[in-house]
Amino acid sequence: MARYRVFYLFMLPGLLYFVLFHYLPMLGLRWAFFDYDLRGVGDFVSFEHFSAAFASDGFRRAFRNTLILSSLNIVIQMTAIIVISLLLNEIRTVGFKRVVQTIIYLPHFLSWVVVGSLFTLLLSRQGGLVNALIEGAGGKSIYFFGEPSWWRVIYLMILSWREVGWGTVIFLAALSGIDPQLYEAAWMDGANRWRQMWYVTLPHLVPVIVIVLIMNLAKIFNLFESVFVLYNPLVYSVGDVIQTYVYRSGLKEFRFGYATAVGLFRSVIAFALVLSANRLTRKISGEAAV
Amino acid sequence: MGVELKLSKESVSRKLFVVANSTLMLAVVTVILVPVLKVAIDSFDQRASETVFRVIPREFTLDAYRVIASRAALYRPFLISLFTTVVGTTISMTITSFFAYGLAQRDLPGRTLLLYLALVTMVFRAGMIPLFLVVRKLGLMNTLWAVLLVHSMDAYYLLLLRNFFTTIPRSILDAAEIDGCSPLGTFVRVVLPLSRPGLAAIGLFYVVFYWNQFFDYIIYIQTRPQLHNFQVFLRSLVIETNTQGFEGFAFATQSLKNAAVVASILPVLILYPFVQKYFVKGINLGAIKG
Repeated sequence: MARYRVFYLFMLPGLLYFVLFHYLPMLGLRWAFFDYDLRGVGDFVSFEHFSAAFASDGFRRAFRNTLILSSLNIVIQMTAIIVISLLLNEIRTVGFKRVVQTIIYLPHFLSWVVVGSLFTLLLSRQGGLVNALIEGAGGKSIYFFGEPSWWRVIYLMILSWREVGWGTVIFLAALSGIDPQLYEAAWMDGANRWRQMWYVTLPHLVPVIVIVLIMNLAKIFNLFESVFVLYNPLVYSVGDVIQTYVYRSGLKEFRFGYATAVGLFRSVIAFALVLSANRLTRKISGEAAV
Repeated sequence: MGVELKLSKESVSRKLFVVANSTLMLAVVTVILVPVLKVAIDSFDQRASETVFRVIPREFTLDAYRVIASRAALYRPFLISLFTTVVGTTISMTITSFFAYGLAQRDLPGRTLLLYLALVTMVFRAGMIPLFLVVRKLGLMNTLWAVLLVHSMDAYYLLLLRNFFTTIPRSILDAAEIDGCSPLGTFVRVVLPLSRPGLAAIGLFYVVFYWNQFFDYIIYIQTRPQLHNFQVFLRSLVIETNTQGFEGFAFATQSLKNAAVVASILPVLILYPFVQKYFVKGINLGAIKG
């Protein structure tokens, strides 16, 4: 045992980290069942916060928006990622392909604040490129971030701007793994490029598509920082999601108990989704993806 | 003859496809680049407000950057960002690699339990409010310790690193021990040097994380805004258009915004070649992380 003591010492800081910032907060989940606000911890209220949440318009709106934005985002992004991967894979000029890849991966590494700033400036009504073009064409400038009808479109476009390029990495890896002999065989059988794409490439992509789709579904309740940076009170009706709702109820209105309850509800669903996603992918690919 | 006909027909449509495909890829690249280029070019242009989009500034200037470099209110957040990125990455790398080294000991009693302690945090988190309440209770509110510690280890990188360590041949470790190396000596002189690629990759993950960190500052540093980093500053300047404290710069607010965005992208751009190399490698190893 003495031989191992030093290893436990090495692991102590990490252990402390897990205990302090992951397991102590888990104990704090009990506040979901208590009255707890700025006046301090009050009575045990059992599931009252949960029923209050399910009955409140704010929570239902946030829940609905989370589902709508997440599912639209998955459909749009997956389509764009697959199309761009397939087309990028057809490019035979190695240098050009590499330049395109380098550029489209970049936005993924910019913070949401930077991305939000870029588009705030681009879409601004004072000197923003897009509105300048609209006005130049004789149109009226649009407050893209302030109009609910525009916000959802703009938000989804910005999400795609940041993530689609990066999303192609895994598909390009899968595409480069396809045996070239299969294409030769298809060619000998008289299949043109489109048929090769349809009968050789796509079937090989299906497992990757399914796994990426499942993992994205597991993360539908994770929407947060992108919304936090891009939304404002004018567009709560379409933009408020569960995480931003938890933030405002907990840290702006100081309803700690209530916000913990809503957060717990979210954590439990997210947990169930991740576990089922893992089980599904294990069934499909033989390994867990987390 | 039939074959020849088919070949020439294929080559014509092939050429058409190549042209169309390359054009489309150029369009994608343009969509990615325009928001960034517009801001970057305008930041150097004294007369940016007079043009919609120019590739070459009409009247080159570094004024906006001079203003940032001369005003403490503007460069302090940048220095805070640099400081927390360096210190945070150091803390994270230390904690993570020591914990990973312990986990990589095949015969360490309790190692499975410690592994599960880490794994659980990947699929279940207590959420924002319980974590906030713990940080407050620990007395870390309004200190940089909060932003440096709350996310100082990522279980996912921990596992990557552990896997890296376990691939080091047993014989090398045994040889070091026979030569009189203590566990710490073996770690520093044998294990770490042999894991350089893995350490570099994870170090870069952490650097990007700390540089882009934003929300933790919003919730944990409320009463001492002088500790806010550049991301928080950028958000309040560009997105919330809060120009308090920058009185006297009204003439240049727009170019100041542009320059601030560029200043916060620049470090990411400098690291990007390395980041791309390692991140893409990481993702190709089957590691998928959003």
